This record gives sequence, C-alpha cells and structure tokens, in this order.
Amino acid sequence: MEVHYQIRRPVALEAHFHIRGFTVLLGESGVGKTTLLKALAGLVPAQGTPFPGLPPERRPVGYLPQDLALFPHMTAWENVAFPLRGPGRKEQALKLLERVGLREHAHKRPGQLSGGQKQRVALARALARKPELLLLDEPTSALDPLTKDQVVADLVDLIRQQGIPALAVSHDPALARMADWLLVMGRGRILQEGPPEEVLASPKEVEVARLLGYENLFPARVVPGGVAVGQVILTLPLPSWARMDEEVWLGVRAEEVIVVREDRPLPPENVLEGVLEGLHPEGLAFRGRFLGPVTLTLLLPRHVQERLRLHPGQRLRVALKPRYLHLMPSQAGEIA
Amino acid sequence: MLEPPFWTSLTLSLEVALTASFVLLLTGVPLAWWLAFRSFPGKALLEAIFLLPLVLPPTVLGFYILLFLGPEGPWRKLTGLSWAFSFEGLVFASVLFSLPFALTAYREAFLSLDRNLLEVARTLGVPRGKIWLKVVLPLTWPGLLSGTLLAFAHTLGEFGVVLMVGGSIPGKTQMVSIYLYDLVQALRFREAAEASAVLLLLSLGVLVAVRLLEARGRAWKSTTR
Repeated sequence: MEVHYQIRRPVALEAHFHIRGFTVLLGESGVGKTTLLKALAGLVPAQGTPFPGLPPERRPVGYLPQDLALFPHMTAWENVAFPLRGPGRKEQALKLLERVGLREHAHKRPGQLSGGQKQRVALARALARKPELLLLDEPTSALDPLTKDQVVADLVDLIRQQGIPALAVSHDPALARMADWLLVMGRGRILQEGPPEEVLASPKEVEVARLLGYENLFPARVVPGGVAVGQVILTLPLPSWARMDEEVWLGVRAEEVIVVREDRPLPPENVLEGVLEGLHPEGLAFRGRFLGPVTLTLLLPRHVQERLRLHPGQRLRVALKPRYLHLMPSQAGEIA
Repeated sequence: MLEPPFWTSLTLSLEVALTASFVLLLTGVPLAWWLAFRSFPGKALLEAIFLLPLVLPPTVLGFYILLFLGPEGPWRKLTGLSWAFSFEGLVFASVLFSLPFALTAYREAFLSLDRNLLEVARTLGVPRGKIWLKVVLPLTWPGLLSGTLLAFAHTLGEFGVVLMVGGSIPGKTQMVSIYLYDLVQALRFREAAEASAVLLLLSLGVLVAVRLLEARGRAWKSTTR
C-alpha cells in the first residue's frame, strides 16, 4: 500500500512511503508520528491517498491508540462486539477473541486484564470492523518491561497471521527489528524506508543513524582509500557517491568496536591506541569509553569482558573493521 | 404540626424544581458538550455570561427576568405568552438561575471522558447515536445526574429570583422558601422551625445522593487506563 499524505496541523508534514506487511515507523517524540497515524485513521485532517477525504467512520482501518482506549464499562467481548451489528454479534465477538487467544477472558473487564491481553482485545475489536489496514500507536509503550519483548513478538505474529498490512509507530528500535518494512521519520518527513536489515545496516543520513542506535558518529573527510577523522586516517571501502575531500559522517555501532587481544596477531588496519575511561555493566554487557585519537563508546558482550578482564584506566587497543564503518553524506538528499 | 399551605408551597417548589431540572438536562447537556469540545471566538465571554447567575444578586437577575417576561417585555411581544407571576415564569427563572451549576457539572463530566474512547469509537465505523448511547452516557451519567440533582436542590432553595418573578401568591407562585419567610414575618417560629427541618433533610438527602454518584463516576475513571 502506498501512502502519500500532507498534513498542516497540529504538525506540518508531508509523507510519502509504502506499507508492506508489518511496517514500523520509527521516529523521535514530536516529529508527527502519531499525527500521521491519526490522519490515516481520519482523525486529523489531511490531504492525500489512501482514503482521500473520508471521515473516520467510513475508513476501513483498525486504529489502536497508545492507551488502547478499551471501553472500561464493557467486558472484553462487549468491547469486541461494539462495532458489530445483528443478532450474531456475541458469537462473532467470541470467535474474534478466540482468534487472539482470549476466549476464556471474554467476560472480564479491561481493568482485570494485563497490558498484553488488553492489546489483543483492542486488536480483536479493530478486526471486527474488517479493516484493510491496522494502525498501532507505540504498541510497546504500555507493556511491562520484563515481558515486553515476548508480548510484542506474539502480537506481531498474530497481526501477520491476519494477513492485514499494519503500520506501527514507535521510538523503540527493538520493534524495528521485527518489521517487514521499516520507515524512519524525522521532523515533518520520512527520512528513509526499506527492509529493516538494509535500513539498520546502512542508514542514509546521520539522523537515521542516531535513531537506529549508532552511538559513535563523527564528521569526517574523504581521503584516498578511506576517511580522515581529525588526525586519524581510517581505511574503508568508499561508496560510489563519495567524492575526494568531501565532508561526510562516519558511524560505528558501540557493539562493533572491537577490543584487540594482545595474545593474537594485530588486525591489519584501523587499530587505535588509547585509555579505557570507564566501564559499567549494562544488563549482561559492559559499556565503556575509549579515549584515544578519537573518543569511542564501546559495548562489550560479557563473554569478551570475562576473557579480557578490562578495568578503567588501563591502556588498550581497539580495531574498527572497515565493513563496520558506515559513511553517510553530510547533507541530506545527496544520494538519489 | 405543619399546615396545608406548607405542603402546597413545598409541592409547588418540587414541581418547579423538577420541571426546571428536566429542562436543564435537555438544554444543558448539549450546551455543555458543545462548550467542552468546541472552540470558537468569543467562547470565554459566552461562558462568563452563562456563569453570571452565580455572582449576580438574585434580585438583580430576577428583576431582569421580570422585565423580560413582563407585560411590556420582549417575551410577551415575541410569543404572546404572559409568564410573569406564573408557574412557567418560575421555571424559566429557575432554569437561568441554576444553569451555571448544571453546566459546570455536565462539562466536568464530559471533560473527564477519555477523548481516545470517542476517537476509537468513530474509527470503528459506529454511528454517533450509538456512540452516545453505548459509550458517552454509560460513562458520564453519574456526573450528569449529580449535576442535575445539584441544580434541583439549588432551585428548591432559591428565594430572591422567584420572589421577583413570581411574587408570593399562595397556591400559585408561593414557593416554600417564600412561605417560610412569611412565617417568620408573622412570628410563627415553631412552624418555621418545622418547615426548615423538612427542607434541611431534603437538601441533605440530595447532597448524599450527589456524593454517591460522584464516587461512582470516579470508579469508572480509575479503570479507564
């Protein structure tokens, strides 16, 4: 499905993108993600396709707002039956609840359900309308952090089973990894779209890279066979768009900064020497800061730290593998 | 013992209050909905005008209503109806007098309604009438009813406005508050005390009902999220 929308209020934006399967729209707060979603549902005035000019009542969309907006005075099945008409509405509602695996909770009120269950009731209610498109606003935000990943994975599976395209807006990169198609939104426009593995591995702009969790971003200059970051020359295969002496951005993921083991042969290129400034546990990994010719944030998996036993203040060498170095033009829109 | 004139005036007061509450419910609910969800130029001024009866001396309000409804007033010229010193006039005055109470309560009830519920209901392709019946009313009725009850109690106790608009014609426009005043003027304190006790109990009963309804309204709100 192709979307082309222009919105003036409450946020001015123009967006042209595709929805393919379970599509995730990633963007920071305030860029207009929710506005775009509401515009697709017909709740915010917009110009464009699909559903041009239709009021919300006549759009075949299923909208799940961030707080899900289940009717608190109705049971699960009554919520699902709300859009249905006719004598068979209870049976239909129960079937829909069966489809989302909540048949046995049909007589509970929303207040008695968990976050994930509420989400599935809201999904069943949206499905009752027979939508051609599902719209989900921040589906990971209302979930218990401990069980979030599993609950979201189940929800995404469930949505895929329905065979209905879905657009989920989020600022959670974890959700982006589950997508069939990924969109990245900046202020008032879509910055990049594509399959998630492509977008995650090669963001086209520094803003996209920042959103996707590239913690090490440096302005750099193109030189023969690589780039210069400050005084350091780093070797890497140059993309075809890169011109000599051009100002570019260089991005490296924290988990792709490699600590050199002294008992092993030195990697052939891009070895930097410096001091480890700090090292703090982060979940099962360790986050540290490397002060050398460039300053780098690094994220060590615990099996690496267990072997190396690094401590703050020590000298160490890190290597930046050419294929993990990602170049982006310094101005947006330079690559067509 | 309380005499028949007391019961006659109390019945009249109850009738006026009941009719006025009904009119308030019919006109105030759509008005409050409109004020809660629409914005337009001059809204603040309009809201101030609706709230004016709260601060205006009741006799001032009553005086204007009397002029409006009187034999030379615009209402008479417009409709041919003479409502001064009549039951209709009392109801008209009571509606204006109690409008701020009802309106404020109704608006609070609507503003406490989660807007997302209404938006989602629309995206579900449900006609507006059904949204009102199945979502708006079930979630706001405690607030709407408590606002109406407050207006009812307020109307029951009004004095200045109804005296100006209705006078004190026994059996026709003499409301219970005015009857009580007349008792005191005639130094019949024992009867005045009994009448006051009846009104006190009535008012207390209404307020207890209002509190219970408010608690009920809060119960829904806490389960919305």
